Amino acid sequence: MSNHEQSFMSKYIFSTDHKVIGKQFLWLGIFFLMFGGFMAMLIRWSLSHNMQPLPWWLLGDILYQNSPVGVGIIGPDAYNQLFTMHGTIMIFWAITPILTGAFGNFLIPLQIGTNDMAFPKLNMLSFWTMFLASVVLLASYLLPTGTAAGGWTSYPPLSTPVGGIPGYGQVYWTLALTLAGTATLMGAVNYITTIVRFRAPGMGYFKMPLSIWGLFLTSILNALFVPIIAAGLIVLLLDLVAGTQFLVAGQKATIPGGDPLLYQHIFWIFGHPEVYILILPGWGVVSDLLSVFSRKPAFGYKMTALSMCTITALSGLVWGHHMYTTGMSPLLGKAFMFLTLLISIPSSIFFLNWLGTLWKGAIKLEVPMLFALSVMWVFGLGGLTGLYNATITADIYLHDTYFVVGHFHYTMAASVLFGGFAGIYFWFPKMFGKRMNKKLGIIHFWMSFIPLNIVFFNMMVMGYAGHHRRIFDPSVYEFLKPVLQLNDLMTTFAFLLGIGQLIFAINFVFSIIKGKKAEKNPWGASTLEWTVDYPIPHGNFASIPTVYNGPHEYSNPKVKDRDWISQSEKI
Amino acid sequence: MSFQNTWRWFKCTTQKIGGKCWGIWFLDPPKDISLDGYRIDDVIQYTDGVILFYFSIVVLLMIYFLIRYRSRSGHKAEYIHGNSKKYVIFSLLMGMMVFLTVDVVIEGMAFKDLKEAFWNFPKGPNVVRIEVMPQQFAWNFRYAGQDNEFGSDDDLIPAQNQMHIPVNTPIVIQIAPYDVIHSFFIPNFRVKVDATPGMINTMWFQATETGNFEIACAELCGNSHYRMRGFLTVDSPDDYQKWLNSLEEEGEPEEDDWGDEDEDEGIPTYWGWAWKESI
Repeated sequence: MSNHEQSFMSKYIFSTDHKVIGKQFLWLGIFFLMFGGFMAMLIRWSLSHNMQPLPWWLLGDILYQNSPVGVGIIGPDAYNQLFTMHGTIMIFWAITPILTGAFGNFLIPLQIGTNDMAFPKLNMLSFWTMFLASVVLLASYLLPTGTAAGGWTSYPPLSTPVGGIPGYGQVYWTLALTLAGTATLMGAVNYITTIVRFRAPGMGYFKMPLSIWGLFLTSILNALFVPIIAAGLIVLLLDLVAGTQFLVAGQKATIPGGDPLLYQHIFWIFGHPEVYILILPGWGVVSDLLSVFSRKPAFGYKMTALSMCTITALSGLVWGHHMYTTGMSPLLGKAFMFLTLLISIPSSIFFLNWLGTLWKGAIKLEVPMLFALSVMWVFGLGGLTGLYNATITADIYLHDTYFVVGHFHYTMAASVLFGGFAGIYFWFPKMFGKRMNKKLGIIHFWMSFIPLNIVFFNMMVMGYAGHHRRIFDPSVYEFLKPVLQLNDLMTTFAFLLGIGQLIFAINFVFSIIKGKKAEKNPWGASTLEWTVDYPIPHGNFASIPTVYNGPHEYSNPKVKDRDWISQSEKI
Repeated sequence: MSFQNTWRWFKCTTQKIGGKCWGIWFLDPPKDISLDGYRIDDVIQYTDGVILFYFSIVVLLMIYFLIRYRSRSGHKAEYIHGNSKKYVIFSLLMGMMVFLTVDVVIEGMAFKDLKEAFWNFPKGPNVVRIEVMPQQFAWNFRYAGQDNEFGSDDDLIPAQNQMHIPVNTPIVIQIAPYDVIHSFFIPNFRVKVDATPGMINTMWFQATETGNFEIACAELCGNSHYRMRGFLTVDSPDDYQKWLNSLEEEGEPEEDDWGDEDEDEGIPTYWGWAWKESI
């Protein structure tokens, strides 16, 4: 398999090699991460410098030249489009491709010890469907009326023709998201089959690295819940283009029987598991990395894996906590609150095990470890603030305020991003054969960690003070006067955060071109991907390894000359 | 639950000592002028306390471990898996402890508040009933008038975006939108309720102070969502009656002097519904 000649096209573009597809997803994800991140900067500018022209360093000479409110000025329509696309792109085009697409593709066959994915061609199709989805999404920017503006949740009737958003932006958005969902689904089927059927001899479920556990559970959630949102999106699409009114009701409806609440249920049945779809691979990566850099086995490995399974199961039963104020049945609300609060049991076991891994270790503060530790901080804050939103009474006040925005930026953006960065810094040597610059990595870490906390924490502060979401100009309201100054502070730190990410981008590209050559196993890790030499040939292993040890064999007293032993080595 | 009383006592005491309500969010929410808003503040502040406690434990232990077990010459990691029965029981106990100290308490507080206040709708002749119909991008209000029946000729409709309520009187609103989803949010009362097309939602609240307060739309409803602002005036009973009378007398409703200058968004010719006694 590894010896036949391949043209450039079949090797790098239409490749069926999981490693190449993984890198394709990584590039796609990083591109959209920058794209979505830049939109965040524009949002912050608009909030602190409302109705003022963009400066040149925010591309004020190029963007919004035809804005109805003035050259280079973000108006309310443009603002709605910005936060809609920021959310959509960050969730479906940045985090999902990096965490699930890139890590999933790259790691699953290597870490479970097999040649490739179960369905390599389906894998390729998955990436190119995602690519098509990206083209459709970006094409929506070329429409004269601009792109979608209904929020990333795109609640009907606002997102239907009744809602008054002009043009075809919503149609493109719905179409792009349906395509992205299809790509995700193909990936999920592939990952599940590969993990269930293609584990190397000796690799039992409880000998898999926790990253694989995370990716496995994510794929199960994807396979179960993405079809549901796809169904919802197709119904929405029919309302948009075929004149049906499945999701329209009230005085604007011309056909009786529609129900906007139906879409909210469908959306959140998928939408809440989606949070765990994003975070589970991150948890897995963090659990593995804490063990590698503490030079000691992951504490309570089985409990961690089972906690992840419990959270996965619970995640499908809690969607109603997004809908406490919608007028949903009170009894349902109580049930959803109880089920949501149950999640705190496996979560606290999780944190305990992370602390247990550090306990009595020999901790090395390498860059991936810094990011892994920071996940404990940001996810701690994000997870705990979920308690407010799970509580029906507190949520009556906090729902649809910036408190929720801050909360989900901590859980989804910060935790997933830092987990993703930890993974990129960690596996970079195996992906590109080079080391990333450590000094730049440390600068990147502090330039991310400090500004990010200032921005996201203040979102919660603002929300607690009553600042509601998706407000173009908060100065309209008297009761928001005390929080306006915070907007300036947050904008400053958001720009610092953005500059920090540029450092990462420079480090990433520069290291690929000119980085120090990496040795085979620079971190002394025991999982299988570190047993193969770079460049890893198409087909990975010369012969399929046999697994003897668990995934975190560090500081085993039986091993004399070093503090790690590979999963495929006999003691 | 006497716990809640203890908690209120503790909070009031610390407030007296510190001079200011302690919280972890630096900024206070808008002044609470409602009968039951304190319940929401209470559950939020209890949660503040416990999450501060548990988060501090995690962070302090993390920092301690990072220093105590840092990699250095002569220091070796211990080969512990943490899979023994002892550790499993310990972590399950910790999980239960978190559940009992955090979740059970919060749930108890929330369910009690819902039962006693938020879902316990007031009944009787003194209850003021108001129908609300949000539209892109304004609030319409409807009062029942003399006959106390909605949908009759003597219904009172004030100028758009202007709502008056009497102080110390329970107010029940029923809300249904004209076009898309909106959300009726009055920060000073700590309450909000969505207006979903095809449904009539309901909520009640009671003011304890007179004054002018803002109504915000909390659910994205289009490009002018940000300025969909309503004006709630809490009147003394006399002023409220005077205001009602002024609505009855004049064909053109009187504009509040603090109301907004925006033009009307164009009210639909007919709206309103027969009051739903049970929803």
